[in-house]
Amino acid sequence: MAQSNRAEELRAENIAVSLRDVSKMYSREAPAVTNADFEVHDGEFVFITGETGSGKSTLLKMIMHELKPTSGEINVLGFDLNRIRHGKIPKFRRNLGIVFQDFRLLRDRNVYENVAFAQRIIQVPGKDIRKNVLDALDMVGLADKYKRKVTQLSGGEQQRVALARALVNKPLLLLADEPTGNLDADTAWDIMQLIERVNEIFGTTVIVVTHDRGIVSRMHKRVVEMKQGEIISDSGEIDPYYEGYDELPDYQDVDADGYEYEE
Amino acid sequence: MGTSMRNNNSIFSGIHRAFSTLFYTLWQGIKYLWRNKGYTLASIATISSCLFLFGIFFSVVLNFEHMVKSAEKDVSVTVFFKDGVTEDQINQLKIAVEERPEVSKVKYVSADEAWKEFSKDYLGDYADGFTENPLEGSENLEIYLNDVSKQADLVSYLEGIDGVREVNRSELTANTLSGANSLIGYISMAIIAILFVVSLFLISNTVASGIISHKDEITIMKYIGATDFFVQAPYVFEGIIIGFIGSIIPLVLIWYLYHKVIALVNGKFAILSSLLSFLPLKVVFHDLVPISVALGVGIGFLGSMFTIRKHLHV
Ligand SMILES: Nc1ncnc2c1ncn2[C@@H]1O[C@H](COP(=O)(O)OP(=O)(O)OP(=O)(O)O)[C@@H](O)[C@H]1O
Ligand SMILES: [Mg+2]
Repeated sequence: MAQSNRAEELRAENIAVSLRDVSKMYSREAPAVTNADFEVHDGEFVFITGETGSGKSTLLKMIMHELKPTSGEINVLGFDLNRIRHGKIPKFRRNLGIVFQDFRLLRDRNVYENVAFAQRIIQVPGKDIRKNVLDALDMVGLADKYKRKVTQLSGGEQQRVALARALVNKPLLLLADEPTGNLDADTAWDIMQLIERVNEIFGTTVIVVTHDRGIVSRMHKRVVEMKQGEIISDSGEIDPYYEGYDELPDYQDVDADGYEYEE
Repeated sequence: MGTSMRNNNSIFSGIHRAFSTLFYTLWQGIKYLWRNKGYTLASIATISSCLFLFGIFFSVVLNFEHMVKSAEKDVSVTVFFKDGVTEDQINQLKIAVEERPEVSKVKYVSADEAWKEFSKDYLGDYADGFTENPLEGSENLEIYLNDVSKQADLVSYLEGIDGVREVNRSELTANTLSGANSLIGYISMAIIAILFVVSLFLISNTVASGIISHKDEITIMKYIGATDFFVQAPYVFEGIIIGFIGSIIPLVLIWYLYHKVIALVNGKFAILSSLLSFLPLKVVFHDLVPISVALGVGIGFLGSMFTIRKHLHV
């Protein structure tokens, strides 16, 4: 009982993600994550960075409940992930949008079907699917290519489709593991801008794992840095209306609708 | 965010959603069958041949049983009496025998009737040469059984009765008939059991190959929040459809072949045609259709459930 109260408490405080003393050991050797403690508020945009093998993906997988922590407490969006019943996992996951480095699109289907797939899975009535899918594709600037086979898209375009799929169900929390890891610098920047737009327009809470120091330093967001499984620094919550706001690039210029990229 | 969509929880939309999910997963199951064509065809072929053999055995056993039953009607035990046994005593025995459960009919044949029947069968016109009944004292009881396997008991009972001279059984003895019947039954059961294991294995393999080659898709579905039902149902439907098609094909074949085979047998063995009384297809199908479909669908269901348990621990 105390646990579910804790989950409710966190909800009341608008805390989307809360990790308390979380550790993860894959084996008896060195832990992948050690005593991680942090909170993410609703609507925040957080980068998780760190060298390879520092435990970033492991941390993210625990937040999406793909992995269970070895010890510690995890609460996400009012779900106590230490005690969530198997049958409730789909309900929990429907609040998440997840994006991967390798896109993970269904290669035998076209752009539209890849996004509609997400809606079908959560049993959205058929008549609403078309509008929602086209809205999501419009958001990522791919509305005109909805009939394309995903194999005929560039890497950046494929990641846009993956982003549209993650967003079409209107998630409360967007989790991205190296979303730009397979893309060149310019394309990577566009995708990050898109994610930032989602965060700002819909208030979606965003956690992005990335190696890309360039992007992290240009975006002026909260940065959590990991090393050998430990959180070694956390810039804390950033108020976008405070310092550095003027330095933010004007994303209106890269509005997806008008933006041009290689055909 | 998106709550207006999710909060629409009236009973009507709940039912509607349940149905559309059912149809969607069914449709997915059909698509899975299609994209897995090779395996699908192999499993349908196996289960079809399995159920075809089953159908043949079933028809043979059913017809054989029917023939045995009709033959049994003609199997009788004849009781002859010692000299001096009166008709009254014979009638008393008749009443006693009629009360036994395995007895269907008892007929009293007087010496005159016995002679008439004998002379008609074997002497024809020569019978007119006899003025006296040469079969004096041959009055008897013809006893018909409803269960031939009880014949031996009845005979020993009759032999133990005072005044009984002789008990004759017919040549068609019970044990051969019911023995052959159950032998066919056992052999067919064994063959069918083996074939069912094979088709179970093949269906399971078909579903497993589908699951393995679409691991990525399944992973994505789970990330997006698909329920276990949503992920698993298409594979269950896949197995059930294979089983269903696999049961319909042999039924159509049997429907087509049944009369042809009977016509062929009757033509080849015309001499035996009085013994070979076949059942109409309708009678055979009355049980064969539901049993075959249940077996096919059941095997499909079990095969896919078993595989899902093994490969899809969601
Ligand atoms: N499934 C696993 N089984 C065992 N050890 C694992 C597993 N996954 C990761 N690890 C180990 O846990 C540690 C953290 O891995 P993790 O993938 O979280 O790092 P990361 O920060 O995401 O690295 P990268 O930047 O290279 O993606 C590493 O030492 C890794 O070898
Ligand atoms: Mg990683």
